[in-house]
Amino acid sequence: MLKLEPVIWVLFGAGMLVGGLLLPAFILVVGLAGPLGLVPADALAFERLHALVAHPIGRLVAAAAIALPLWGGAHHLRHVWIDFGGLRTDGWVGPLLYAVALVGSVFGILAVVRL
Amino acid sequence: MSSLQPRVDAMKPRQAGPTRTAPARPPDQFPTQGRYRSYVAFGSCGIFLLLSGLLVLRAVWALGQGPAAWERLQHDFAHPAYLVYHVLALVGIVWFTLRFFRLFPKTQPPRIGPLRRPPDAFFRVALNGAFVVVTLGLVLVLWGVLP
Repeated sequence: MLKLEPVIWVLFGAGMLVGGLLLPAFILVVGLAGPLGLVPADALAFERLHALVAHPIGRLVAAAAIALPLWGGAHHLRHVWIDFGGLRTDGWVGPLLYAVALVGSVFGILAVVRL
Repeated sequence: MSSLQPRVDAMKPRQAGPTRTAPARPPDQFPTQGRYRSYVAFGSCGIFLLLSGLLVLRAVWALGQGPAAWERLQHDFAHPAYLVYHVLALVGIVWFTLRFFRLFPKTQPPRIGPLRRPPDAFFRVALNGAFVVVTLGLVLVLWGVLP
C-alpha cells in the first residue's frame, strides 16, 4: 500500500477538486430540482441527457465525475477512520475503501463506454 | 488512558525506539471542540464524495440501459430519503469545497516548478471563480438553458 501512496494522493487531490466542481450541479439539478419538478420536463428527458453525456466531452466529464470523487472520498474516510480507530484496523479498512473506489472507477469507465 | 477516550496510535512507531517517549494521546479538544470540529467535519464529507460518485455512476449506467432505466432512476430520486440525502450532500460538498479552496494556498510551496508562487489572492480568485463558473455552467446545461 505504501508504494501506491503517491498515486492515491494524486487521485485524492484530483478527487477533491473535480468532485467539488462537478458534483454540486449534478446534485442540485438531477438530485433535487428534477425530482421536485422545478426543471423543464424536456431538460432531463432521456434523449437529451443521453446525447449530452454520450458526446466525447460529456463522456470525459462523466468519467471524471464518477471516478475521481470515489478516490477523494475513500482517502478522506480512511484518514478519518485512522483518526478515530487507529492504525490497527487500517490494514483492512484502507484496502476496502480503495477497492470500492477501484471497482466504482472500472464500472464508471464501462458506463461511459457503453453509452 | 481512559477507555472512553478515542484510541490514538496513528503516530505511534511500529517498534519502540531507543528514546523513551510519552504514549500518543488525542489532543484535548479532539474531536468535537475548537478547530478539530471543522477538521473532523471536513474529513467526514468524504462520505458525500464517495456516495455521490456512486450515484453519478448509477445515473450514467441508467442512461446506458435505456429510457425505462432512466425513468426508474428519476422515480427513485423523488423518494424522500434520496431528497434528504441530496440536500445534505449539496450542503456538505459545497462547504467542503469552499474550505478546501481556502486551505489550498497554505499548502503551496514558494516555487511551483520554474515559477514563483502566486499570491494567496490569486488562488482564492481562481479557485472560487472556477467553482462559480463551472457550477453555474453545468447547472445551465443540465437545466436546458444552454444546449
